[in-house]
Amino acid sequence: MTEKRKGRAFLEIFASALQEDYRFPILELFAFLYALSSFVLAGFNLMGGAPSEELAVYSLVFSLSGLPLNIFLLLVFKNIAFGLGSDLEKGTVQTIFSYPLKRHAVLTAKLLSAIGVSLLIFFSAQMFALMILASDRILPYMHIVVLAYLANLSYPLLLAFIILFVTLLVRKGGSALVLGIVLSFLINVFSGVAQLAAWMTKSAVPLQILAVFNPAVALQSHYNAFSSIVGPIWEPNLPEVMLYVGAGYALVFFVLILSYDYFGRRLNL
Amino acid sequence: MPKLLVQAKGLSKRYGRVTALNGLDLEVEEDSVMGLIGPNGAGKTTAIKIILGLLRPDSGEVMVFDEAPWDNPDIRRLVGVVHEKAFFPAHQKALDYLRRVCRIFGVPEDRALEVLESVGLQEAWDRPIRALSAGMLQKFGIAHALIHKPKFVVADEMTANLDPQARSNLLDLVAKLHKEEKVTFLLSSHILPELSKICDSATIISYGKAVVSGNLVELYEKFAARTLRVSTDQPEVLAASIRTLSYVQAVDIDSRGLSVRVNEGDEDKLYGDAPSLAKKVGVKILGIETGSASLDELYRLVVTNAGGKTA
Repeated sequence: MTEKRKGRAFLEIFASALQEDYRFPILELFAFLYALSSFVLAGFNLMGGAPSEELAVYSLVFSLSGLPLNIFLLLVFKNIAFGLGSDLEKGTVQTIFSYPLKRHAVLTAKLLSAIGVSLLIFFSAQMFALMILASDRILPYMHIVVLAYLANLSYPLLLAFIILFVTLLVRKGGSALVLGIVLSFLINVFSGVAQLAAWMTKSAVPLQILAVFNPAVALQSHYNAFSSIVGPIWEPNLPEVMLYVGAGYALVFFVLILSYDYFGRRLNL
Repeated sequence: MPKLLVQAKGLSKRYGRVTALNGLDLEVEEDSVMGLIGPNGAGKTTAIKIILGLLRPDSGEVMVFDEAPWDNPDIRRLVGVVHEKAFFPAHQKALDYLRRVCRIFGVPEDRALEVLESVGLQEAWDRPIRALSAGMLQKFGIAHALIHKPKFVVADEMTANLDPQARSNLLDLVAKLHKEEKVTFLLSSHILPELSKICDSATIISYGKAVVSGNLVELYEKFAARTLRVSTDQPEVLAASIRTLSYVQAVDIDSRGLSVRVNEGDEDKLYGDAPSLAKKVGVKILGIETGSASLDELYRLVVTNAGGKTA
């Protein structure tokens, strides 16, 4: 082997992915949507009637992040399924694999562009909105804000990484997008069925299963106890909620590691 | 002993029921220009992908620069790749993208324009890659492969979309890089006259395995001595009769007559047998001579009659 020349393969592949993922006006449009949805949909009405300051903070974060999280998912689906998917489908990945960079680093550069940048815009818009709208009420309860965002993001991230894994398997942008939408729909149906089952059977088990996939359910049940006519069904305490958040992220990382393993060791082109 | 840049042993690869490679052995010597030749579906692209670390073989092993190529950035610094179909980010401009590739490999950005000029694409520097024609995209792919001054270039159907002038220029460029910068080439192509101009060695693959491999001069000597050209007015009829001779290995028909390959030591027998067979089936023999082997002839003789056997 000859002397290695110093290049900056990771940064350049990241920059190239940014250029492809956020061509005008994608970045501008989504930044506007994030900002608009963060400010306009903030639920101050929920804050006013809240019995405690902690619940008020949670309610604000919950209302503030609802629509932006859907926008986040939309952007991530587009970037992964159409960005990485079409790179695999058209063969651009073959070109990238001729550069001096490990496969896992290539995937990291791609994901930083596809998901990292979207997360950054999401959090920037959310933090600006929170700080501008209610900084005096938010700051004493930052731990609740952090927990709420962690809980709320777990499920979209799980979906995003499932889409990533599916994209790597099918290697077709369009098919991956369709599969992603179908999967989201099925999980939403499962979520509805689980809540209905909990309500009808008065058992917390369906909700607890659901909370592993979507820890936001546990946090929601902590603040607004999930109840039936006869009374509360599930009222997890805060440490329990944290456990569910931990379980949710364990699942997220499991799917992410599966994707990395497939991309690094098994992706034949 | 010349150093081997590529050593592949017993490579096998299946895609479902289709066997793409069936125990392929391949060696590429340093400072050589090797042609990888074979019919469609012979396994050339699969072999190239395994050498480039894009595909794992089901069995067998491959070493490039004495290292396994899978996920190996060190090898990529030394290898330039031209794929059969070039794939680049479509919305980026030609020169901008090549400058990015310069930064990836840590070479001066001036090199981007230099390689565009070397393939005759300097006029298209400001075009988005998606706006390049098939031929221009092929040239762009070649420029891209040369940007980091690789020691070894692997090219799959490098001249496929090029016009005759561009092909000729490209062959000159290959010859120049080989001569002046000692770049080793592994070139897969169907256009044999072109390969024969620049290759000094060849591996012919058929049904996923190497049928013939080696230095071209030696191969020509070996096969020319055992190959006779028979000119006749009815090649099909005479070919059928000649194939019945026990010492005949292969008979190939072309526009000029027959190429007949015989067992070693039996070269003279055909001079006696061919006229009597012709007389028997009622055809005229216009001439018999020892064949002047060309890559094209070698390929047709070996591939048409190999059926997976090694010669």
